[in-house]
Amino acid sequence: MMMAVQRMYAIFMKDVKDLSKNLFVTTTVITPVILALFYGQQDQLPIEIHYLTFNIALVLVATFVQAALIAEEKEKHTLRGLMLSPASPWEILAGKNVLTFLFTALTLLVCTLLAGYEPAHAGIVGAGMALSIGFYLALGTLLGLLATSVVQASVALLPIMFVFGFSQIIEEMANRYQAAGVLEYLPNVQLVEIARQVEQGAAWGDVTAPLLWIVGWTAVMWGVVFITYQRRQLED
Amino acid sequence: MEPILHLQGVSKMYGNQVAVADLDIDVQPGEIFGFLGPSGSGKTTTIKMITNQLEATDGEVRVFGRSLPVRATSEFYRRFGVLTDNSGLYQRLSIEENLALYAKLYDVPRQRIQDVLELVNLQDARRRSVAKLSKGMRQRTVLARTLLHEPELLVLDEPTSALDPGNVQHIHQGLRALNERGTTIFLSTHDMQEAETLCDRVAFIHDGRLQQVDTSKNLRRRYSEGMIQVELTNGDVHTLANTPAYAKQLYEYMADDRVAAIHSQEPTLGDIFVRLTGRELV
Repeated sequence: MMMAVQRMYAIFMKDVKDLSKNLFVTTTVITPVILALFYGQQDQLPIEIHYLTFNIALVLVATFVQAALIAEEKEKHTLRGLMLSPASPWEILAGKNVLTFLFTALTLLVCTLLAGYEPAHAGIVGAGMALSIGFYLALGTLLGLLATSVVQASVALLPIMFVFGFSQIIEEMANRYQAAGVLEYLPNVQLVEIARQVEQGAAWGDVTAPLLWIVGWTAVMWGVVFITYQRRQLED
Repeated sequence: MEPILHLQGVSKMYGNQVAVADLDIDVQPGEIFGFLGPSGSGKTTTIKMITNQLEATDGEVRVFGRSLPVRATSEFYRRFGVLTDNSGLYQRLSIEENLALYAKLYDVPRQRIQDVLELVNLQDARRRSVAKLSKGMRQRTVLARTLLHEPELLVLDEPTSALDPGNVQHIHQGLRALNERGTTIFLSTHDMQEAETLCDRVAFIHDGRLQQVDTSKNLRRRYSEGMIQVELTNGDVHTLANTPAYAKQLYEYMADDRVAAIHSQEPTLGDIFVRLTGRELV
């Protein structure tokens, strides 16, 4: 167990050093921060606008940074080196996700402060966001494992940004077209739903359903990630 | 003694294309085994199969007595080291930072980084960023990383292909020292000189098929035409059959103190490869 933690920590520290010198990836954090700064100048923002910033932060930081980290490891053949080392898939993936988790959480916190968002129940909203980070990290890890290069991962991010970054458009589509009704259950839409209910005085018990939807999406996505990772260990 | 590496009837197909066919190889613990073949002959495919990166289409691959591919544990990967042409390094980190990561993954003391840097002659460049290294220095860094944990089985794919002769000699000394401490080495190369210098036995592979497996000495004897070349002090060169019939002539040259040099006409591994396959070993 101690060795597993040591190996995970070694991968985490390597990523800290590597990411601190990677301006291409770290500058993605600027977009949600600028949005939060801009909206923070205005009074009485609707909850959907706050969550436009948060969802963009989740896609750009959690998903994109994670996808770029993994895709670069594949592109430069360093992921193969880790796979052939004593580090287990679990240790490699955990080591590579802790940094992005912290980076995303910090970005969300900064955006919250800059936009002046004060949720009625910080615990529920915080839990929703933490679970959402888990989902977006899994999405980024999967994207990185499937992409062959950072450029390919960046291009693949565009449709992901549309679906997960702009929850209002997705909700609108779900309301307008019956076939698109399933989109209502996406984790970004559920996160906004939690925030809306919290503002109407909801307690933990009232938001169980949207929280469970996010947990479900996260669990399924991580399952897909582990299966994909195992398959990537053997070349075709 | 059970071989550390055992391949029996191993084939790999990509669609209808045969990458390697019907390979039978046993490598004994403590051996340096050379795997010689030109580019595209199936060396890298074989290395991927014996390092748990690729599944054979047919046959059996066993490493440390376990059939591959296997869902490997930390203990399994700790026992071998792999250097291939696509072994990557973290470009933004220094040589030392790259090695420090793997020292922690393999749980070896930090002092070991210094040891392997000396072995590949990079101790003065340890703080340099990998992005600023030459191809040869990068190759030496990857080799240093592979040697960090002194594996039981070391699989090397063209480890010295981009290096100058001075560094090649330095690394050969290091590999020999490692082998003396018990590491078995599977060395894929198209450098016959390297194979002759380092390997206990060599295998020739061509178009995915094994041609010969034996010691360099036996191969050279087997394919020797039994001739010796005598260079006389006056500059004349005579080629004699290595038989009793020519013993008197050779004795006379020597008795008259006319011999400047005697060369055996044994073929090199490269010559033997050409004879077997009709292709150069490059």
